[in-house]
Amino acid sequence: MSNQKTWFITGASKGLGLVMVNQLLKQGYNVVATSRKLTDLTGAVGSNAANFLPLAVDITSEASVKEAIDATINTFGHIDVVVNNAGYGMVGGLEEVSNAEARANFDVNVFGSLNVIREAMPYLRGQGSGHIFNIASIGGFNGNFPGWGIYCATKFAVHGFTESLAAEAKPFGVNVTVVSPGYFRTSFLDSGSLIVPKNPNDAYQNVRDSQAAHQNEINGNQPGDPEKGVAAIIATANESNPPLHLFLGQDAYDMAYVKMDAVKSDLETWKELSTSTGF
Amino acid sequence: MDSKKVWFITGASKGLGLSLVKQLLEAGQYVAGTSRNPAELHNAVGENPNFLPLQVDLANEASVSAAIKTTVDTFKSIDVVVNNAGYGIGGSIEELTDKETRDSFDINVFGTLNVVRHVLPYMRAQLSGHIINISSIAGIAPATGWAVYGATKFAVAGLTEVLAADVKAFGIKVTLVAPGAFRTSFLTPDSLSIAANSIDAYKDVHETHARYLKMNGTQIGDPEKAAKAMIAVVDEPNPPLYLLLGSDAYSRAITKVENMVNEFRKWEGLTKSTDYQTV
Repeated sequence: MSNQKTWFITGASKGLGLVMVNQLLKQGYNVVATSRKLTDLTGAVGSNAANFLPLAVDITSEASVKEAIDATINTFGHIDVVVNNAGYGMVGGLEEVSNAEARANFDVNVFGSLNVIREAMPYLRGQGSGHIFNIASIGGFNGNFPGWGIYCATKFAVHGFTESLAAEAKPFGVNVTVVSPGYFRTSFLDSGSLIVPKNPNDAYQNVRDSQAAHQNEINGNQPGDPEKGVAAIIATANESNPPLHLFLGQDAYDMAYVKMDAVKSDLETWKELSTSTGF
Repeated sequence: MDSKKVWFITGASKGLGLSLVKQLLEAGQYVAGTSRNPAELHNAVGENPNFLPLQVDLANEASVSAAIKTTVDTFKSIDVVVNNAGYGIGGSIEELTDKETRDSFDINVFGTLNVVRHVLPYMRAQLSGHIINISSIAGIAPATGWAVYGATKFAVAGLTEVLAADVKAFGIKVTLVAPGAFRTSFLTPDSLSIAANSIDAYKDVHETHARYLKMNGTQIGDPEKAAKAMIAVVDEPNPPLYLLLGSDAYSRAITKVENMVNEFRKWEGLTKSTDYQTV
């Protein structure tokens, strides 16, 4: 049993997840970190501290997730902050991405997070406190990313269930935040991380252009500093009234505004037709 | 309608789908309508030489692909696709099982993706077409107790935004329709799915469900007018990406946009704190 808050972070062997683990350990929190492979995690973090619990978890398996949450409670006595960070990007036109490829992306980005929430909620409800962070993306708010249809769909889905979750968890004193990072300088766009369809179609030149721009021009030049992104999330966890939506980065901020303006413009232009349908 | 078009409508045996089918047939259009249940479809629509009833399991890609091929074989083209099939699912995330969650994504998201994937080769070849994806106001501003439903409809919004960008070059138009409450069978026990595993602690969620079920039969929206609005949009040279239907949907969307912009501003400092320093 420890009085320090216990953080539970999925996809912790790289990217924002890994940076978060390191910052939290330095600050003395209890940290449970999950990854598919334990060696990836222990190699990346390199800590044998008593407040660090690395776990091999397949978040697409509900049983594996349940085991991890149980291990968290057994080790630290409580679970306070859950960060659904695991996820990967995919770029391909909707016609090119197979049913299996689309579902695989949802398995991790959507159903994995839902598995974690489903298994963590009984503990958070029981203690009457907690904070769930779901890491979405600015692509989960603004779909103006040609070729990123499935990825955006998964991240839009995260936005959708997080908004409802905030309402359903509120009576239990559990805070909920959906985080929408812009471009951060992580391995997200590396060829080992970013998935492309097995059967690309030559007709989708715009999708190939988008893929090339992301892999060759944007990768390595992302404006977002992962250390600062993580610091912002940790700061949010310490707020008494944290935001439901947290956008990270000037780019995310600008794209979020553009999206709201576009929807507003459609709403206003088509108001007469929209409101013509009542009895 | 300005001219004869071939429409492909999923979930055509009831609700907005059925209203669309009937109005289109009356206007002399060609209509392929899908349903799981061919008898229900036949009873609902009746005999009409311009109507092609199709038994389709939308979660099954082969079934979808065969239906689209039959449509093109019968009517020689496919001009407007309405991804209308879908159902509501209520429950907190904790109450809904992985299976219940995935079942709703199977129809509301993966079914739509199956249709899009198989219709695009024809639309790209003819360099025209209009894909209408029926989301929901819950796909923009979700409510307590409908987290998974909201997630499926947010996902539809996400994939639709990107699809619009991906296929613009082929002359294909894309519209997301977000209806409010319409007087269909959506809220009847036959259509609506509620978590089998009810957890007493989720009082607010259960009260919301009771309130919605009580609304059944008194919804403000007229399905016939919704169908008329969708048909009107297809005749537009510059149709909207977002079409809200219903004064309820319109106000919820406007409120959502305003709340989001307020939240952007409130947390602007933290959002913009994460970029690398530019020299």
